Amino acid sequence: MSWESIIPNVLAGDPQSLAGAAPAAIMDNEQFAAFYARSARSLWAYLARVSRDPGLADDLTQEAYVRFLCADHPQDGEVAARRYLFKIATNLLRDHWRRPQSSSIDELPEAVFAASSEIQSDSAAMLGPAMARMRPRDRQLLWLAYAEGYSHHEIAQITGLASASIRLLLFRARRKIARLLRSGGEA
Amino acid sequence: MSPFSCTREREVSDLLHNGYWPQACPGELRAHVASCRICSDLVLVTGSFQSARRQTAELPRLEPAGAIWWRAQLRRRNVAIEKVGRPIVGAQIFAVIMTLVVVAAMAIWQFGNWSAWFADLPGALHLTALIPSSMPENSVLWIIVPVITTIALLSGIVVYLTSEKQ
Repeated sequence: MSWESIIPNVLAGDPQSLAGAAPAAIMDNEQFAAFYARSARSLWAYLARVSRDPGLADDLTQEAYVRFLCADHPQDGEVAARRYLFKIATNLLRDHWRRPQSSSIDELPEAVFAASSEIQSDSAAMLGPAMARMRPRDRQLLWLAYAEGYSHHEIAQITGLASASIRLLLFRARRKIARLLRSGGEA
Repeated sequence: MSPFSCTREREVSDLLHNGYWPQACPGELRAHVASCRICSDLVLVTGSFQSARRQTAELPRLEPAGAIWWRAQLRRRNVAIEKVGRPIVGAQIFAVIMTLVVVAAMAIWQFGNWSAWFADLPGALHLTALIPSSMPENSVLWIIVPVITTIALLSGIVVYLTSEKQ
């Protein structure tokens, strides 16, 4: 296929016009809307709880879906697609943490979660302060394992950590957060 | 049983993730959880996280899926245009380099003729009439060269600004 023949299709936004067109993009608008409706809230919850910044979670959720749709890797089925989405989100979070930090008066760490604590169960209400005392990587591992229910192998795929080290890292993180939850996040 | 795991951890984990804890859990396993530090941590942490997940997932005001779809299409289109345009940019860079090489070769080859032409230029254009009589006649070249250079630079800027607007 010559470039003269590609250009009109590209300008028309034809997703098939590129060699190796993204399979995620083969998902049509309606399929994507359904997938988005099923997965967006849990992805947002992951980003918000791990970053402790709901505003950042808004931005990264949108960016994760845009990158997912632009991706060149085939995702067989919804489970793999979700896992891939969490991997993109994890990489976005990592990129965010690597960037030089600037503080803003708009930052509301945990404020949103604290505001709704009245309707939370005791342990869930205590999770915010306990999570605040955990390292970001531990927050990621704990959320993926215990909120999302991913296996050690899946967590390794999402985070890029060695599968063998996930078990030990999770064990330590779980023991620490359990101690914090029992002591009301003050330990 | 290793210090990092309990033999019944998988069993407890399955019950928790399937929503069977504690109602559908055998009393014997409940007694084990009460006495096992690893399993009790697992129950506490999983319960807290699942509860937090349910509550946190109610909070976001998500952007419509259509808007995200549209943004992704736009980004894909821009990436595609960039990809298609890459060989063209390469060809343009090559053409500019070749032109500069040819011009440089011509300048070196015709240096003798050009220097004579430049020397004759003030006389041919009667530029001496523009120069104050107090200046020596051979200083005309020092005026012509900067003027031509300035015109060339301004032309480049105009071409750049025009292409930017396009």
